[in-house]
Amino acid sequence: MVNLFKRMRKLRSILDVTVGTGAAILPTPATSTKEFPPITRLHLTYAQKIYNGHQGARHFWRQCLPRLKYHNPSIPMTVKQTEEQDGPAALTIYFAEHASNAATLNAAKDINDKYAPAAGESEKTAVVDLRDLDWKRIWDKVRVMTGAKEVQASAKEEEEVKKLEQMAVQSVKDQERNAKIRQTKRDQERMLQEARGEVERLRQT
Amino acid sequence: MSSYGSALPSAARSILSSCRPAARQSPMAPFLSTFYQQQLRGAKSNNPQAQGKGKKAAKAKPKKGAREFTQRDLKDIQQFSLCDAMRYIRAMEVGREPTISKYEIHIRLKTKKDGPVIRNMLRFPHSVQTESRICVVCPSGTKHEKDARAAGAVLVGEDEVFDAVKNGKIEFDRLICHPDSLAALNKAGLGRVLGPRGLMPSAKTGTVVEDVASRVEMLRGGTIYRERDAVIRIPIGQLAFSPEQLRDNLRATIDQVKKDASGLNDRIVKEIYEVVLSSTHGAGFSLNGEFKSDDSPDTTALRGV
Repeated sequence: MVNLFKRMRKLRSILDVTVGTGAAILPTPATSTKEFPPITRLHLTYAQKIYNGHQGARHFWRQCLPRLKYHNPSIPMTVKQTEEQDGPAALTIYFAEHASNAATLNAAKDINDKYAPAAGESEKTAVVDLRDLDWKRIWDKVRVMTGAKEVQASAKEEEEVKKLEQMAVQSVKDQERNAKIRQTKRDQERMLQEARGEVERLRQT
Repeated sequence: MSSYGSALPSAARSILSSCRPAARQSPMAPFLSTFYQQQLRGAKSNNPQAQGKGKKAAKAKPKKGAREFTQRDLKDIQQFSLCDAMRYIRAMEVGREPTISKYEIHIRLKTKKDGPVIRNMLRFPHSVQTESRICVVCPSGTKHEKDARAAGAVLVGEDEVFDAVKNGKIEFDRLICHPDSLAALNKAGLGRVLGPRGLMPSAKTGTVVEDVASRVEMLRGGTIYRERDAVIRIPIGQLAFSPEQLRDNLRATIDQVKKDASGLNDRIVKEIYEVVLSSTHGAGFSLNGEFKSDDSPDTTALRGV
């Protein structure tokens, strides 16, 4: 059984899911305004390898989508990884009723993402072209288009994040120190071994 | 000078030996407390053999090490309600195929290191797997063959099964054998192929049975589980399951495990100690037994993709 402290340290990874870039609440039917209608779902398509600018899209999935999903548990989010390197790297945002102005301005018109699920009758979609975009810039774009409200980390969470960072720094130091201790021990053993060999040789002659 | 040098270690030894009994007293305390609990519960209060096998035996022979798996106090551990754990796991699994990613349950038991282990099969109220494929070995042309086919076995027969396996075509998840064709199966020498995959039929695992058809029926919705190192691990639901569905499956599992534990032997005491919910790509969350907490989202939000 794994040590409880180890397990708890590992479980701090849940902080990554709640705090950071992408931790935001998308408009729901209750919080939507005329300018930013509620979001019904998200779909991301990108290719398996990073060539032709698919890197950012994957990073967006890895970094931002878990946080978005945590803060918006009721919004379905799907990801499709294709093997078509020349295919689209696109995020499809589904708005209820009508797309927001920012979305229609930013949306790419010429992308046809065949993997994205078809929009329902009352849904309007806006496709974002993610090719050659950094994941942070993708998030900025998504935030502007959807009108998502970012969740500020609480003081306690911030403190914990800071503590984790300090621990990471300290762990590098500790690793170096331990490596040095182990090395000196190994050296000593080797020297002892050599000395014993010397004695043996002297005895034989 | 030399006499002084030799006297010192012996003095040290005597000090140590005087300390040792005191040091050894400490393991006594937890043993007593568990014993006390047993008496309180009224279960097996006068069973000296069972008690003798606990930590007392380990104390008499310290070389053998602990006889029980160490279970630490769960007081300092962060525990979650089912809905909260699901929310985190669903966030970690975002974008994965909902039929492939599974919720898993890890049931940690309070148990001894030796002795019998729990090993059984379970039918969930909500099926986890997409239909498992079952192969039956029985003499061809008999009633059993017909029954097995009717019950939904994919591959039925003797020689045709052996040939398929020898050619490396194993297109099934379970293999059941009728006692009449067990000799033929052993003669075919398939143990080398089937053994490592855990498919080799044996009476112990309940895969050599007379009533082939009913077994096939059972296996088609069932999941096998067994205790390894005091933990039972079972896939318990697909990612698209709602919290209610998962709760039903969880309840069925825990009831069954409790039943197994009580049905083992009078002298063996096995208790559930911790239940951890994790998933294919997610972290493990220790459950506190609650269904939802105050700030967990609506249950309708926690299903689908």
